[in-house]
Amino acid sequence: MRLPVLASIFVILSGAAAGQTPKAAPRKATPPRTEWGAPDLRGVWDFSTLTPMERPQQLAGKEVLSEGEVAAFEKQALEAIDLDRRDGGPLIDRERAYNRFWWDYGTKVVGTRRTSLIVDPPDGKIPPLAPEGQKRASGPRQRPVRERLLIGAAPDGPEDMGLSERCILGFNAGPPLVPTAAYNNNVQIFQTPLHVALLNEMIHDARIVPLDGRPHLPSAMRQWLGDARGRWQGDTLVVESTNFTDQTGFSGSVLGRGGAGENLRLVERFTRLDADTLRYEFTVEDPTIWTRPWSASIPMKKTEGPIFEYACHEGNYSMFNILTGVRAAERAAEQAARKGAK
Amino acid sequence: MRIKPCGVAVLVMAAVAAPVLAHHAFSAEFDASKPIKLRGTVTKMEWINPHAWVHVDVKKPDGTVESWMIEGGTPNTLLRRGFTKNSLLHGTEIIVEGYQAKDGSLKGNGRDLTFTDGRKLFMGSSGTGAPKDGKDPTETKR
Repeated sequence: MRLPVLASIFVILSGAAAGQTPKAAPRKATPPRTEWGAPDLRGVWDFSTLTPMERPQQLAGKEVLSEGEVAAFEKQALEAIDLDRRDGGPLIDRERAYNRFWWDYGTKVVGTRRTSLIVDPPDGKIPPLAPEGQKRASGPRQRPVRERLLIGAAPDGPEDMGLSERCILGFNAGPPLVPTAAYNNNVQIFQTPLHVALLNEMIHDARIVPLDGRPHLPSAMRQWLGDARGRWQGDTLVVESTNFTDQTGFSGSVLGRGGAGENLRLVERFTRLDADTLRYEFTVEDPTIWTRPWSASIPMKKTEGPIFEYACHEGNYSMFNILTGVRAAERAAEQAARKGAK
Repeated sequence: MRIKPCGVAVLVMAAVAAPVLAHHAFSAEFDASKPIKLRGTVTKMEWINPHAWVHVDVKKPDGTVESWMIEGGTPNTLLRRGFTKNSLLHGTEIIVEGYQAKDGSLKGNGRDLTFTDGRKLFMGSSGTGAPKDGKDPTETKR
């Protein structure tokens, strides 16, 4: 754990990390508790937000928006990502996919008005890749492909397509949870004295987190979602995950920085601040991939359920259509080549 | 609302950086060089994940009927907003603008789904903060 580094940042960010430092602001309300006395994290939580994971280059050095800037930022952010607009030309228009009413991304920035969800490093950016991380990010395509189908790639079969396209891992579900998808940014938390279950709406996976202090799985056992163990640290649930695979489609790769590796150690922290707010923080350590650890802080809002079953695999006609599209293009190319040879 | 120029430049770029990801890249499935505009009647709506599909029968000028399948987004979003299986009934006449599937079959993405009077299906873009394209008569002028 790298609390000293985190703490120094949190001191700078007033109110961003109540509970992490002795100087933290007092909480607004006593968080609810379960029948057995634990902090109550149960319910459906919405982690959508307009605040980007990484601080945009144009806002370099500007950690927090002023109150006056928030409305303009939100308005312009919504306009920029609006999917009803038709002004992009065919290539962009097609990628905007379908009407706004299908989408469910955030419409507000986080309450701290930070310009990035990443709180460490202080520049709000995912740190540079380590040499091995660079190699993996730039190397030949691996199977299974960690993330989305590359534009222009021609998959031979489903195995050549991204993990999210294959409905194996969600593109916001992580772990860690990140609001990088434009819908299904919801997680439902279940709790017993001995377990916590984290049910993410995207791809519909549940992570079962034992709280009984048992050791991690043997290191030879690798899992898509890692192997999670939880413990209470004061009123904060700390979930530590290891035993990831080197194929994990960690959402960081969506941000263009390569996937997470087999040495990933992920520490997530869930703190119920009040009736409507759950603070979610995570720290990623993977020296194989990144030159240093990095951390983010994402407020989750209580929302009415239920979580809907995503059942992605069952109705995945898109997989069929993409593959038939590639085959049709190959047939057309063959015919053109034969015609040219005559 | 007026915004100071420097703020606009900075903040627009910031907004562009916010990711908007769907389940798959539409460039892999649909052909940008084959735009479609169809007027037809809904024969079925498949409320399935990861993408809902609207089936539409389109009558051609020669009287024959083509049956199209149109891809939308996740039904989860619509369910959360209170829409149900009865929200788009068999026989409803709609207009579809989109792009045809790369394999040449009668499938397309529902880039823009409207009723014949121009109203967007389900809920218009009103109130989303989106720029107004004038297609939704319920939009408030600003």
